[in-house]
Parts: sequence; C-alpha cells; structure tokens
Amino acid sequence: MSHAAFLLPAWLFAIGLYGVITSRHFVHLIGCLTVIQSSTYVLLLAVGYRTDAAAPIFANLPIGTPAVDPVVQALVLTDIVVGATVTALLLALALQVHKRTGTLDPHELRPLRR
Amino acid sequence: MTSLRTIIAAFLCAIALGLASAGLYGLPAFGHYPGPYGDIINRQGPAERHATNMVTLVNFDYRGFDTLGEEFILFAAVIGAVVLLREHRGEEASARPDQADEAPIPERSEAVAFGCRLALGITALFGIYVVLHAQLTPGGGFQGGAIVGSATALLYLGLGYPAWRGMMRSRVLDTAEAAGALAFIGAGLAAIGAGAPFLTNLLPLGTTGSIVSAGVIPLLNIAVGIAVAAGFGTLFLEYLEETREPESGGEQ
Amino acid sequence: MQALTPLPVALPLAIAAVLLIVGHILPRNGADIIAMLTAAAAGLIAVLLAMAASEAPFAYWFGGWQPRDGVAIGIAFVVDPAGAGCAAFAALLFFASFIFSWGYFDEVHARYHALMLIFQGALAGFAMTGDLFNFFVFFELMSTVAFALTGYRLESSALEGALNFTVTNAVGSFMMLAGIGTLYGRTGALNFAQLGRALAGLPPDGLLALAVALIFGALFIKGAIVPFHFWIADAHSVAPSPVCAIFSGIMVPIALFGAARLYWSVFAGSGLDQAPLRPLLVWFGTATALVGGFTAFMQRDVKRLLAMSTVSHMGVLLVGIGLLSSEALAGAMLYLLGHGLAKAGLFLIGGILLSQCAGIDEIKLRGAGKEFPVTGAFYALGGLIMAGLPVGLEHQGDHLIDEAISATGLAFLPPLLSIANGLTGAGILRGAGRIFLGLGPEPGEEALSPTEEEREKQDRPVWLMLLPVVALIGTALALQAVPAEEAARQAAAMFAATGDLAAAVLDQAAWQPVAAAPEPSSASPIEPAIGLAVAIGLAAFELGRDHLPRRLVRAADRATAPLFIGLDRLHDGVVGDYVAWTVFGAIALGVVIAIG
Repeated sequence: MSHAAFLLPAWLFAIGLYGVITSRHFVHLIGCLTVIQSSTYVLLLAVGYRTDAAAPIFANLPIGTPAVDPVVQALVLTDIVVGATVTALLLALALQVHKRTGTLDPHELRPLRR
Repeated sequence: MTSLRTIIAAFLCAIALGLASAGLYGLPAFGHYPGPYGDIINRQGPAERHATNMVTLVNFDYRGFDTLGEEFILFAAVIGAVVLLREHRGEEASARPDQADEAPIPERSEAVAFGCRLALGITALFGIYVVLHAQLTPGGGFQGGAIVGSATALLYLGLGYPAWRGMMRSRVLDTAEAAGALAFIGAGLAAIGAGAPFLTNLLPLGTTGSIVSAGVIPLLNIAVGIAVAAGFGTLFLEYLEETREPESGGEQ
Repeated sequence: MQALTPLPVALPLAIAAVLLIVGHILPRNGADIIAMLTAAAAGLIAVLLAMAASEAPFAYWFGGWQPRDGVAIGIAFVVDPAGAGCAAFAALLFFASFIFSWGYFDEVHARYHALMLIFQGALAGFAMTGDLFNFFVFFELMSTVAFALTGYRLESSALEGALNFTVTNAVGSFMMLAGIGTLYGRTGALNFAQLGRALAGLPPDGLLALAVALIFGALFIKGAIVPFHFWIADAHSVAPSPVCAIFSGIMVPIALFGAARLYWSVFAGSGLDQAPLRPLLVWFGTATALVGGFTAFMQRDVKRLLAMSTVSHMGVLLVGIGLLSSEALAGAMLYLLGHGLAKAGLFLIGGILLSQCAGIDEIKLRGAGKEFPVTGAFYALGGLIMAGLPVGLEHQGDHLIDEAISATGLAFLPPLLSIANGLTGAGILRGAGRIFLGLGPEPGEEALSPTEEEREKQDRPVWLMLLPVVALIGTALALQAVPAEEAARQAAAMFAATGDLAAAVLDQAAWQPVAAAPEPSSASPIEPAIGLAVAIGLAAFELGRDHLPRRLVRAADRATAPLFIGLDRLHDGVVGDYVAWTVFGAIALGVVIAIG
C-alpha cells in the first residue's frame, strides 16, 4: 500500500475531467475544474510528505529535526492563487454570458451560431 | 447524442485513471520524500536568513521570482474581471438590489449585523497578524491578504450595502493593488540597482523570531498582503455590483 | 550585460503596474506611447542579451542563489540566442501591435496596455527560463492575460469563445502542474539541467511516460496541435485583432518552443528513447498540418480561417521539432519567425477589414475591399507566404525541415506538408480575390461555416494600421539573407547541447563551442511549387465557380462534402467535447511513449 495515497489525486483528476466533459451548466463546470485543481494540490503535497516528520516551521523545533518538504508547500501556495484567479475570471465570464443569453448550458452556448 | 457523450467520457476518464495510477507507481513510496531540495533548505534556511518559516523563505527568497509571477497572475486576473464586469456595467449602479421576481426582500437580521461587525475587527486583525508573521509562523502575504479580503465581505454583511459601498472605493482598491505589485518588482529592481541579482535579499537580517527579521521578506509580504486584499476586495465589489439594479438608461 | 537579464520580464511588468496607477491621468494616447516605448526597450535588451549569449550561454540565478554541489536551490534563467531571440521577436510583434491599436480603445484606464505589457513580460520569461516551475508560472501568466484579453470585446459570442478558450487551457494548466508534480516526486529537482541529469540516470518507466504525456499535452493544447486545437478558432474569432496577432504570432508557437526546450534540456538523454518519440511527434504534426489545412480552407470568417491556418503551420513546426535533430530545429526556429511575422500581419489586415469594412465574413465582404488595394496586395502576399512562396524566412525554415525529413527517409512527407500549407494559402488567396477584387460570386464549402456580425473601432487612419502590416510581412520576406540561417543553425546547436548546457548551468563549467548544424543543400523547387500550385489552383477554382462547367463543380463538391461537413461537426463549440478530445490525445501520447 505504499503508493495508495497517490491514487487519490488520480481519482480526483479523472472525476473532475468527467464532470467537465459531461457538464450541462457552466457553474457546475467551474466547480469540476476546482476539483481537478485540488487533485494537483494533493499530488504535490503527497510527494513531499515524510512520515512522522514535523512541519517545516522551526520556531520551537531544533534545526535538524526531520521535517516535510517546504518546497512543495510553496508550490501549492502558488497553485492555489493560480486556481483562484482562473476561477474568478471564469465566474466573471459566466456572469456576463448569462446576462446576455440567459443560459449557461454549454450545449446551447456555441460561439458563432449560424 | 447526450448519452453517447456520457459513455465516451466515462470510458476515456476510466482509461486515464488507470494509466495515471499505473504511472504514479514509479514515484517513491508515500511518506518517503527523498530530498535533496527540501532538506537543504530545512537545514540551512534558518541560519542563512534568520527565519523560522521555511515555506515563506522558499516563496519569498529562494524562489521569490515565482511568487512575483504569481502576484502578477492575480493582478492580471483582477484586471480581467474588472474589464469584463465594470467596464461594461459602467461606474454607476443604483443602491437598489436587482430582483429576479417581485418577492419582498427580507430585512437583514440584527443578530447577523451585530455578529458580523464583531467578527469584522477580529478577522481583519487576524489577517494583519498573519501577514506580519510571515517568516515566523505559518502564514504570509497571500494567506493574510485573503483573510483581510474576506473581512471586506463581513463588512458588507454587517453594515449593509450603502455603507459598504461608501467605504470601498474602486479607485483606492485599484491603486492599492497596483502599488503592491509594483512594490514587489521595485524590491527586485532595487537589488539590481545595488549590483546584486534580481530579488536578492539585501536588507539586514535582524534576529530570528522578531517581526523585523529575514531582510526584505516582511516588506514583500506586506506588499503582497495589500495587493491580495485589494484584489479580493475588487472582486467582491465587482460581483456585488452585478447584483444591483442598473441606473436608468444603463445597459440591458 | 548579464545583469540586465531579468529586464525583458521585469520592465514590462513594472510599467504595467505603473500604468494601472496613473492611467487615468495620462493624456490622450499617453498609454499607447508608454506601451510602445516599453515594448521597444524590452526588445532591445533582449537583442543585447542574445548577442551576449551568442558565444556561450549563461545562467542568471535569481536572488543570488547559486547551485550547491550540483543542486539548484534558486531559479535560473538560461540565456541563449534562441531564448533571448524569441523574447526579442515577441517584443517586435507587441510593438507592431501597439502601433496598430493606437487609438483603438477609447478607455481611460490603460487596462488594455497593462495587460498587453504583462503578456509580453510573460512570453519573455517563458522563453528564457531554466526552471520547470518558473516555466509553469509564466505559462500560467500568459494564459491568464490571454483569457482576460479574449473577453475584451463584449459582443455576444465573444464571451462563449472566451469561455471555451479559458476552460480548455485551464485543463491544460492543471495537466502541466500534475506532470511537474510527478517529475519533482521522482527526481527532487525543478531546474531543467538538474532534472536532465537526474532523469538520465533513471530507467524509463510509466512515470516518465505519464509526465511527458501530461506536460507535452498541456503544451500541445496551447500550441494548437490536433486533437488539442479546438479552442483556437473560437478564441481568435472573438479576440480583438491586435490580440489575435499576438496569439498566432508568438503565443501559440512559443508553446512548441517550450516543448522543444523541455525535450532538449530535460528529456534528451533520459530513458525516453528517441525511438517512440520522434515518429509520434512527426505524425501528430502531420495530422495537425492536414486537419488545419482542410479546416482553414472551408472557413468564411477570415479570422477563423487564419486561426486554423495557424494550426496547420504549427503542425509543420511540430514536425520540425519532432525530428529531434539540430538541423530540423534550426529550420523550426526560422519557420517560427517567418510564420509569426506573416501571420501577425495577416491578422492585422483582418483588423483593418473589421474597422473599415465593418465585417469579417468573406462572403458578405465581397468587393468591399476594392478601395484598399495596398491592403489587398499584402493580404495576397501573406497568403502566398503561407502557401510556401520560395522567398523569405518561412521558406528557409521549411527547406531546412524538409531536408531533415528526407534524411530520415520519409520522402513523401514534405510534399504532403506542402499540400497542407497550400490549402491554407488557398483560403487566404480566395479571400483576397473575393474581398479585394470582388471575384467569385458563388460561395463553395465555406458557406457551411459559422459566421458573425462584427466590427471594430472605425475612425482610425488606414495608413497607421497598414504600417505594421507592411513592416511585418516585409520583414518576413526580406530577412532571407544568409546570416539569419547561419544564426539559426548556431542557435539550434547550442540549444541542443544538453550535457554542455547542464555543466555550464550547474557546475559553472567553461563553455566548449559546439559545431553548428550542417549547412543545407540548395532548396528544391518541388515543395514550393506544390504549395503554390495547390493554393493558386484551388483559389482560382473557388473564385471561378460560376464560370466552370456545372457538372465539374458539383462533382467536386459532392466528393469533398463529407470531409468538410465532418470537420465542421467536430468543431462544434461544445467545450466538453474539446476536453474529451484533449483527454484522448493525452492518453494516446502516454500510451505510445510507454509502449515504444
């Protein structure tokens, strides 16, 4: 079971993709994108984890205590900001689309209808 | 056609899941991070930079350039949202909420108003605390800025739309956000001016454990905190303005 | 000189922030002037960096964090002529685009200019970075700005196009992130050189195939490779024209440049054998070229046509990169430059049409361009370049790529690629004839395609808009002189010297000069002839439909109808289908690499 923890991000990514492909409402689709995002966070954090190690905050810990990888945590911080910004833009787009067309169904919203 | 799409989607995603899981078995076992990058930083970070939060060190010192990019991603996304929403709506919107139907709007309960006003101060203070202790304890500019940003939402809930709109001036928020981003780049360019590579930490390092330590990192975090708080404030502003009735003669 | 390395990125970003603060107090067109000057300054610095790196590439470590014992702990920019040259090229396109958009936006806040400057900084950073996560950050920055710019014109279908673009590219970003996570988990490194060294010592396994499928899949989404390309027509048809010029001119090709950079810096020398990868990339590229060519030919919306023609040419670019040799790489670099210049010029002409003729539909615009002969001439010239005109940078690049293809024995491939490019040229020439000469009353298969009523801001002088067009297309043709080719071959050789680069970056070893890629033989006239014949012949057929015998025309239509109808159905605008194709493509990539 040494790699079982990595199945979780794979599952989240796959289920998020399924949701995006079959979505019938753009806000639902944005939520599915958030699920895919989360899968990347879990993957990164899982990759840097060390069993029975402390957080990389040495305020009260002596230096040299086994600690988890701070680099992936910094990467995840960046990812969270990236994900939040994409979500914000998409929501703004969805808002405007709904105002103009009254619908948020991807199947009905096709650019350049004939 | 729809059910065909569902079947194909399930099929593709199942295959992707299987292949990804098989591939991920090539990683080292979970819980056995082999290093060396993280270990070097954990070992040498505290002494090199007089800081105790290694994650902030990585974010704002070792890999500060990535954080600069991230700051500008936030900046660009907020500009984008403003362009999409504000420039079309116009600067003016009435104070009356737009309604989907004719149902009466319920009054805001006094408990909500009181609770939010109470929570507002505490949240904002906590957010500022998180920003200032970036290099000491878990936290930093982004996290603290997001907390202060959510305090602005509490502001709306506690004080109501007119008072909130009076306090949240879009010009101030835009300037604050741009100023935060500019300060970050300015710190980097100042390092070049001093003859060192971009974003080198040149300020005195201070004593480990005090708020003023680790050189330029507290300043960068304050800049980022201001920018993120202003950015989230702008986003709330834009989204909330969308719920207002347009001025007479406004866009359809 | 090396101290100036961050400036092509930092300068545009800083000025963008300044513009946001002072935008509303600037005089009229003040933002245009500041943006142009910044673009030019950043470009000049990039050119200086390229010259400084022409003898030996150098690494610039941000924050002063030099590597310790071969382990990189900071972020590096690895400056070589190819990367700095790409940054300079981007600056040139932005400069031309700012001239074109002078007075375009009535707004008072300089947001468009700020977004474009951030875009330029992101592209420069992407071209020069030597760190995998920094690569992702700039990829994401350029994507975010692109999303924001696409939604700029708020007419109805603009937003659906922006939504499709944003969702598909966001999926790509997350794929890349997952790929980076797996590579980091395996090797513990984020620096390209260090990753390359670490991977060279490991056996190839499913993890490597997974990482390559994810990362290259993400880059191929941005690079408009089939089957990841569906977003491009939607995005281009709705973004403002100067933005489209940047998209097709540099943003889409630079993703493939990034893929090349990743291959040569990270994956070359790893267990990822050339054997499965080279034919895989070449076939993906060929499929892209053909699908792009046919789909372009059937478009009636000029911007959609040009967007699909970008797809086709990106296919050729991928073939050049996918041959995994430094000679083909030199050809790919020249091709990138030549195509980018000409395509940007063509999109700006589309902008002229939108502004002066209030439309972008080729059929509706018939004859509307008769008052703009110079514009029409350059439009036709651009079409000929796309078809393979044997003059100019794109042709030089094409020739080098074809030589490299022949060296691997696939002799049927260069004519096939010429046909694909000829199809795109045919669409453009047909448009030139119809719009600017008023020919061709009866539309053919392009009547099937979607279209839209649109216009762009009117009261701008045509000569001002035409100026960058002339400059761009002129440069694409005139820069053929031998120095460009030699510079490309040198740059490609340096780009491909994986081990030496790693030593220079991580160990601060002295640079050993590498031999340039071999000189090509003189260009064969066959491929340009095929391309031009296809382009001119098909355009003439389309324009002369009502003069040709009915039976011939009807038979031709019936024969080709299934293909065109099929292609049109595929590009149906439903974002879920686009993402499904992306998953399929990524699975195909991964499986072929894992099995091979």
